[in-house]
Amino acid sequence: MRDVFETEDVTIDASQKNCTKWDSLHHLTLASELEEAFNIELEPEEIAEMTDYDKVVAMIKSKL
Amino acid sequence: MTSFVFRNQTVEPFLGYDGMTYSGYGDISVVPGDVDRYIWFYQVPVNADSAQLAEEITSYRDQLDLVLASAGSGKPFIIFSLVDMYPLRLVGNDTAVIDSIAAFNSHVAQLAHDMNHVKWVNFSDFTTRYDAGSLINWKFYLMSQTLLNPKLANDFKQWWQRREAELSLIRKKCLVLDLDNTLWGGVLGEDGVDGIKLGGDYPGKAYTLWQQALLQLSQQGVILAVCSKNNEADVQEAWDKNPGMVLKRDHFSVLRINWQDKATNVRELASELNIGLDSMVFVDDNPAERELIRQQLPEVTVPDFPEKPYQLLLFFKSLVDSYFRIYQVTDEDRRKTEQYRANAQRHAEQARFTDMESYLYSLDLELDILPADEHNLPRIAQMTQKTNQFNLTTRRYSETDVQQRLNEGWTVYCMSVRDRFGDNGITGTIFLRPVDDTTVEIDTLLLSCRILGKGIEEAFVKTVFNLLRLDGYRHVKADFLPTAKNGQTADFYDRMGMTCQTAGADGAKHYEMALDGMFEIKNYYNIRVL
Repeated sequence: MRDVFETEDVTIDASQKNCTKWDSLHHLTLASELEEAFNIELEPEEIAEMTDYDKVVAMIKSKL
Repeated sequence: MTSFVFRNQTVEPFLGYDGMTYSGYGDISVVPGDVDRYIWFYQVPVNADSAQLAEEITSYRDQLDLVLASAGSGKPFIIFSLVDMYPLRLVGNDTAVIDSIAAFNSHVAQLAHDMNHVKWVNFSDFTTRYDAGSLINWKFYLMSQTLLNPKLANDFKQWWQRREAELSLIRKKCLVLDLDNTLWGGVLGEDGVDGIKLGGDYPGKAYTLWQQALLQLSQQGVILAVCSKNNEADVQEAWDKNPGMVLKRDHFSVLRINWQDKATNVRELASELNIGLDSMVFVDDNPAERELIRQQLPEVTVPDFPEKPYQLLLFFKSLVDSYFRIYQVTDEDRRKTEQYRANAQRHAEQARFTDMESYLYSLDLELDILPADEHNLPRIAQMTQKTNQFNLTTRRYSETDVQQRLNEGWTVYCMSVRDRFGDNGITGTIFLRPVDDTTVEIDTLLLSCRILGKGIEEAFVKTVFNLLRLDGYRHVKADFLPTAKNGQTADFYDRMGMTCQTAGADGAKHYEMALDGMFEIKNYYNIRVL
């Protein structure tokens, strides 16, 4: 997530609301990178649900 | 460098965010002036109505023309060609969309041909590397409006970096080639002149096509060199007698055919050609030799060599795409092989004279000094990009930069050098910035290394000083800015009789001199001011 948002300032509290770099464009880049990194497929609805760090982690866990 | 991107889809994942500003989707109403360059990167939209789609694509042409007109010609304008990544045709003979894309692309090529500041990038060069399935990611297209798969972003960035180098006329200068199992199949020392595989059917045919391709590359100004463990007499015999041989002795500027280790040979080739190791690409079928070069000379680029002869043409394309293609080739580039060979002859000639002056007399040196104009501008800009060794300030300029300085009243001269061994073409330039009515400052002074060693640099600068004096100037200022490569010019201005005013801790020096009288120039330089 730090790579995608190009900032070291990403903590476990990060969410689309409190992270200015986490805009819709970077959100898709994040989805695309996660698909590659974990070799998973994310559906558009699932991508939309991943609005904060915890939900991202939970989504990846459910796919593995 | 800052860029403004005109686009109709999401291209941020590919071109990145650093220094980039993006237009709205298909928005041409804003053409900001405070950027260094413009990029036009449109993609073909998805639309099943072919007539409507063709009409939309046709309108891009007018939009582009409008934007070009308001952007002006002072800054580079880079245009991506259109690619039909989703070539949907409901009716086989409906070519409306294909035609509109072809018309747009040929319009772009024509613009780039007519206007110096416009350059076009062939986007299909990137897209043809992928099959339809990996090129488009429909999920991301529908979520974020980018037809080009975001998973290709890293590939794209690499490809784009290389294209930017190509547009800046930066490329590798020399291709060092092995012979056995590289330029032909088999081993000359074992299989004999007629036993090596070259010409005829496969695999000989693969080597013929590979040699033909390399010949074309050398005609675009890439220097070919041989580095092979062989007996030179055997190789000469193969060049003379094997009917399948395309590349012969004269196509190579320099040779190292011996049993010495290749790292030493490559180092010698670089110094003989007077080029840096970082401008060489080393091609050899033997992995041990490649490893040796990688270890000993890490600056040299060493690509892997294909396992099978039938992969040679694909390998050639990747060599060109990765290291050798430049946007534009000058006449000087094309004559390079010849020039470097003539240089080697000159070295031999030099050895026969006891004193330098009689050698210089014997060369029949002719120096033409010309003001910058539309014909020599690309070459002048290219020299500022490529010259490292005899370059006093190493300032890099694009064609547009040079044009801009001419518009601001600078004087730019270039020099073309001939001798009885051949024409070196335009090989030196000087940029003069007027400070006030009687004072001028040398912003840039450089000479290509292949004409050095004949005192030409002094004759050139003295002639320019005489011209300046005739134009009413009485003072010259100049700087020497040190780099890793221009050490040989550190005391050039001292030798020219200039006085060092200040010297920085980093080795930078500032000079001034009064133009009190005319300089005398030795009469073995036949100088013409055109």
